Amino acid sequence: MTAARRDPDLGAGRQPTGRRAWSASAVTGVGRLARARLRRATRPAPFPWGAPTWPGTVARPVPSSGLGDEYDTAWARRYPVRLARAMVTDNLTRPAVHLLASPLVRGAELLDMAEAPVVIVANHTSHLDTPLLLSVLPDRIRHRTVVAAAADHFFDRRWKAHLWAGLLGAIPLERNRVSRRSVDEATALVEDGWSLLIFPEGGRSPDGWQQELHRAASLPAARTGRPVIPVHLAGTHRILPKGGTRVRRARTTVVVGAPLYPEDGEDARHLSARLETALATLAAESRTDWWTARRQAAAGTTVQDARGPDASPWRRAWALGGTPAAWTGEHDSSSAHGDGDPRRWAVRRD
Amino acid sequence: MSPRPGYVLEVDRSTPPTLFWHGEGYRLERLPQGSRVVYAPEPIEPLADPVAAVRHALDHPLGDSQPLRSLLRPGMRLTIAFDDVSLPLPPMRRPDNRQLVIEQVLDLAAEAGVDDVVLIAALALHRRMTEAELRHALGDRIYDAFAPHGLLRQHDAEDPSELVHLGTTDQGEDVELSRRAAESDLLVYVNINLVAMDGGHKSVATGLASYRSLRHHHNAHTMRHSRSFMDQHRSELHSSNWRMGRLIAASGVRVFQIETTLNNDAFPEQFRFLQRREWEWSARDRAAFVASSAALARTPARLARSVLHGIAGPHRMTSVQAGEVEAVHAVTTGHVHAQQLVEVDGQSDVLTMGLPYISPYNVNSIMNPILVACLGLGYFFNLYRGRPLVREGGVLIMSHPTRKAFHPGHHPSYIDFYEEILAETTDPAEIHKWEEAFATDPWYVHLYRTGHAYHGVHPFYMWYWCAHALDHLGAVVVVGGEPSTVRRLGFRPASTLADALEIAADVVGPSPSVTHLHAPPLMIADVR
Amino acid sequence: MKALVFERAVARFAAARVAATLRGSGHGAAAGPLRMVDADQPDLPGPAWGRVRPLLAGICGSDLATVDGASSRYFEEMVSFPFVPGHEVVGTLEQPPDGSPLAAGSRVVIEPVIGCVPRGVEPPCPACAAGDTGACQHLAVGHLSPGLQIGYCADTGGGWSAAGLVAHASQLHAVPDGLSDEDAVMVEPTACAVHGALAAEVADGACVAVLGAGTLGLATVAALRRLSDPGQLLVGARYPHQRSLALELGADRAVEPDQLDRSVRRATRSLRLAGQVTAGADVVVDCVGSSASLAASLAMVRPRGRVVLVGMPGRLHVDLAPLWHRQVTLAGTYAYGLEAGGRRTFDLAFDVVAAAGLGRLVSARYPLERYAEALAHAGAAGRRGAVKIVFEPGQRPPRQVPPDERAPRTVASGAPRPAGGRSGAGGTRRSGTRKGRTP
Repeated sequence: MTAARRDPDLGAGRQPTGRRAWSASAVTGVGRLARARLRRATRPAPFPWGAPTWPGTVARPVPSSGLGDEYDTAWARRYPVRLARAMVTDNLTRPAVHLLASPLVRGAELLDMAEAPVVIVANHTSHLDTPLLLSVLPDRIRHRTVVAAAADHFFDRRWKAHLWAGLLGAIPLERNRVSRRSVDEATALVEDGWSLLIFPEGGRSPDGWQQELHRAASLPAARTGRPVIPVHLAGTHRILPKGGTRVRRARTTVVVGAPLYPEDGEDARHLSARLETALATLAAESRTDWWTARRQAAAGTTVQDARGPDASPWRRAWALGGTPAAWTGEHDSSSAHGDGDPRRWAVRRD
Repeated sequence: MSPRPGYVLEVDRSTPPTLFWHGEGYRLERLPQGSRVVYAPEPIEPLADPVAAVRHALDHPLGDSQPLRSLLRPGMRLTIAFDDVSLPLPPMRRPDNRQLVIEQVLDLAAEAGVDDVVLIAALALHRRMTEAELRHALGDRIYDAFAPHGLLRQHDAEDPSELVHLGTTDQGEDVELSRRAAESDLLVYVNINLVAMDGGHKSVATGLASYRSLRHHHNAHTMRHSRSFMDQHRSELHSSNWRMGRLIAASGVRVFQIETTLNNDAFPEQFRFLQRREWEWSARDRAAFVASSAALARTPARLARSVLHGIAGPHRMTSVQAGEVEAVHAVTTGHVHAQQLVEVDGQSDVLTMGLPYISPYNVNSIMNPILVACLGLGYFFNLYRGRPLVREGGVLIMSHPTRKAFHPGHHPSYIDFYEEILAETTDPAEIHKWEEAFATDPWYVHLYRTGHAYHGVHPFYMWYWCAHALDHLGAVVVVGGEPSTVRRLGFRPASTLADALEIAADVVGPSPSVTHLHAPPLMIADVR
Repeated sequence: MKALVFERAVARFAAARVAATLRGSGHGAAAGPLRMVDADQPDLPGPAWGRVRPLLAGICGSDLATVDGASSRYFEEMVSFPFVPGHEVVGTLEQPPDGSPLAAGSRVVIEPVIGCVPRGVEPPCPACAAGDTGACQHLAVGHLSPGLQIGYCADTGGGWSAAGLVAHASQLHAVPDGLSDEDAVMVEPTACAVHGALAAEVADGACVAVLGAGTLGLATVAALRRLSDPGQLLVGARYPHQRSLALELGADRAVEPDQLDRSVRRATRSLRLAGQVTAGADVVVDCVGSSASLAASLAMVRPRGRVVLVGMPGRLHVDLAPLWHRQVTLAGTYAYGLEAGGRRTFDLAFDVVAAAGLGRLVSARYPLERYAEALAHAGAAGRRGAVKIVFEPGQRPPRQVPPDERAPRTVASGAPRPAGGRSGAGGTRRSGTRKGRTP
């Protein structure tokens, strides 16, 4: 194809012939001339006014990418950026999230009582989780929170790194390999008074069920001794699932659990296990009620329940369907089920 | 107050004008004195608790079938097939019958630990359903659990690897079926029996079959000998399907049939005048009629179409039965008749009808001229038991704008059928010679498999559907239709009902007897 | 003697263009450089020339384009002003050329292309030497004024004249007795169609699509059917009478032009991609010559197929990517001359006209005095149910006729009657199926 492409510069200098001056060809001729002028004006200036070309015989040093976990997010925590971010979060993100997800928050008082800085951990099923969680945090925590985000996904391009660091206060966290640097950075920030929002599953769940937790996620809390607040988010999976392209409105439930305090000398592995149980209990609470969840936790089956049945994909998806907020959007509750509360529809099937 | 049965009104001087559907609109027409108007029975009471009724049906199957619960075991292959977007009309409000039934079937399957479950939309040669249509029919819960894993499929009658030939009936009819359905340990078929034609062995033998199989009963000969195809005992279409169904059962395919019926409460509250008798219209009904008919008449057809196709009918489940196919279907037919049967005394010279904006094959689409013919001559004409409402050699008058408009995505082969085949002949027996070329046209096959197009052969089926009526009638007149289009269909155009009746009088003689079929809502005229 | 003359007048040329744009094709006659004058008989340029008094002279698409000021400027140097238009002529031979076997008073058809021989160019160019006058290289030299055909040359006169015209002995063809005047006047356009049909190089059993069914399109259909053996001959024609004529003349299927690609797709069982029929017709004959028709032709021809331009194009704006990618041959065909078998195109055209009865395409005849009406009728021929409009230069209009009886004389053959003045007024639609034109 390239061979067939004509060089627009070729005809640029030619004036349209007088006989056809009025015709359409004259118009295109003028356009072509203007384009050529523009091209000449925007062409990089030659050396020494412009940058020199690199001689082919000299090896070029590989520049540092400054991306991934090497990306420096300090700029995003400076006051003017924080102020701008707070404006966007409070005036755009929060209303949008409330419109889209209409979150029902259980245990909001636990967040109010928490003493910053804290480490907030949550299950992860959708890109919507971060804005949803940020929008239910109390103001004093929200405006001083950094979000641990996958270095390989959110920080792999310069524009993305700028965007997420600026918009969400994201910091890169390496999830695929051991990286002392990113954990150290997160720990330092918590020590510095910043709350940390982290999704310890290390990525969105493909089907909505809880996955195994990454131990590195507990390190900042274990090292600093700051409380960890587990939060369970239900329903975001339906708004925008992993791999989904369409956003649908749905109800979401946010269940906040009691803070966990790392014990003296407790290692990350142990904290991680406690965290997993806490998150699973919250998941059960989200599906049923607080008391039932307690009793299940006492029986010790909670974590397995939260990971879902060991069955075919449809049965895992099917078993997930029973949450109260689910599938209520367009049910005609008046006729088939005879009661005013659309949520009974889903409850009844359990 | 219990719902009133159907009613046959004799038009006299004090009778108000009668409502005629007219495509994307409706109008009032004055029928000559002495005409009869056949009104459908009023909607019967729906089931109070359909969820419990479904559960009861699954646990207490009819015929020699065991309860569904005991048919399910871990490690089995379970396939659930369901009716496609052509049913019901208009689409019912959520939750759809299919959702109500399949959710419970899946609950049982999950309880029993069945891992290998596939859902198949039994399209036959219809267009594939869109995501929105599938969500509407099945509910989000089922869609989200199955679709992302590729377990919610649409029957593909053109995928040779997905078809299996089960054999030929004693009449030499090929039976070729969806491989997944045929090789499952259990095939559950979920029906919505809107009219008496639906369900029975036709569900599997047609819905999951291929062209090779369908051509044996979807042809001019069969349709001409189905009198009517709404009456399975006098329908060659059904005899053929029953032969195939028995062969399917004999070749070891285990079918658990679930059939549901609806009442005929087809239009929502603001359009209730459409299913009321005119002399009972309240001030509100009259206001709604005047406002909506005036508005629709002034709206561009495209917009009017999207408004009307957005209507979801408030019809509700009136019965559900499950188990062995023939036992289930006998009970279901009884329920359909209970809602739809109207006794009519004798035939008339002229039958009039107003055709609405929707037919089984243009849900969320355009009612093209071929579908107009099919709805009038195929469906409405055949809404009888015993004898047709119009005598042999009589005249059918239908009211529809009959615009030459096609949905290029849904009905690509219809355009060619209209431009090339109908330009040459309108005889259902004669068009057969082009059928093969359309059925195997690679472009139609491609659009059917990958887009949302009806199969290439489908317009032929629409025309075969008219075969019985075309045989029976002396003439067909279309009131208010585009004359060139109406003539292409082989019908006669008339600008008003009075003109149409004059044309009819030329055919059947002066002062003909007239019957008007006041549908929808649907009914079956039991003509004595 | 009355004659219609086309003069060089820039302002009137522009006025014709405006009139044609506003009121429709053919209406340029009233405002433009075409005038009715009293003309004398043109002088004989030499001894090998004869005098012909026209009986019937057709209005061709290229004549309309000239009258409307819409023809391509390419032809500017190939005509000489003032000229009398009219190159589709059947006439009476008043004065035979010296040494001609034709008798005075016999009917002749003019082969209007003025090649080397009539121009007295010695030696003639290789094409003319072989008899293929359509490819002549000496169009504007010699002892005659420039002019690619009789009807564009100041020295020869043209068909739209009662005074007659002069033609070289090599340009005269005797009309057999069995052929009517209507048939004979169709020979010249049919020769163009024959030339196009043979340039299409149709293999036996091939699928051929013809786009446009004006005079040229219909004659092309007749020629394709009689001179080759296409398996499928599909025609895109806008008007119902064109479709029925196409079927009568041998088309297998006649559909509306925007449906033609659908018919081609179905006939060749192709798929579609990027607006193209993937397999498509072996040959597409474009008898319209507009941007839209050429684009449509390229969209329905098979890869390595052939698109033949029979209709006269002007400046077109067409995406040639499919031509390049699908390796399509685009062939132009002009006029006539010598065909591959060594026969003259005109001889073949006589056969085709006689076999297909193409005289039926002549829909209405007008006297010269009513030229404005005649040209408007020709410009709206399709819409008014007509195909070919001709002048009868010998006829005078009857004086003082009541206005409602002023309909032109209709030809009582199988051709449809003209629709009268009822639908004649009003703007014409500019689109892909204007009447085909031949120069």
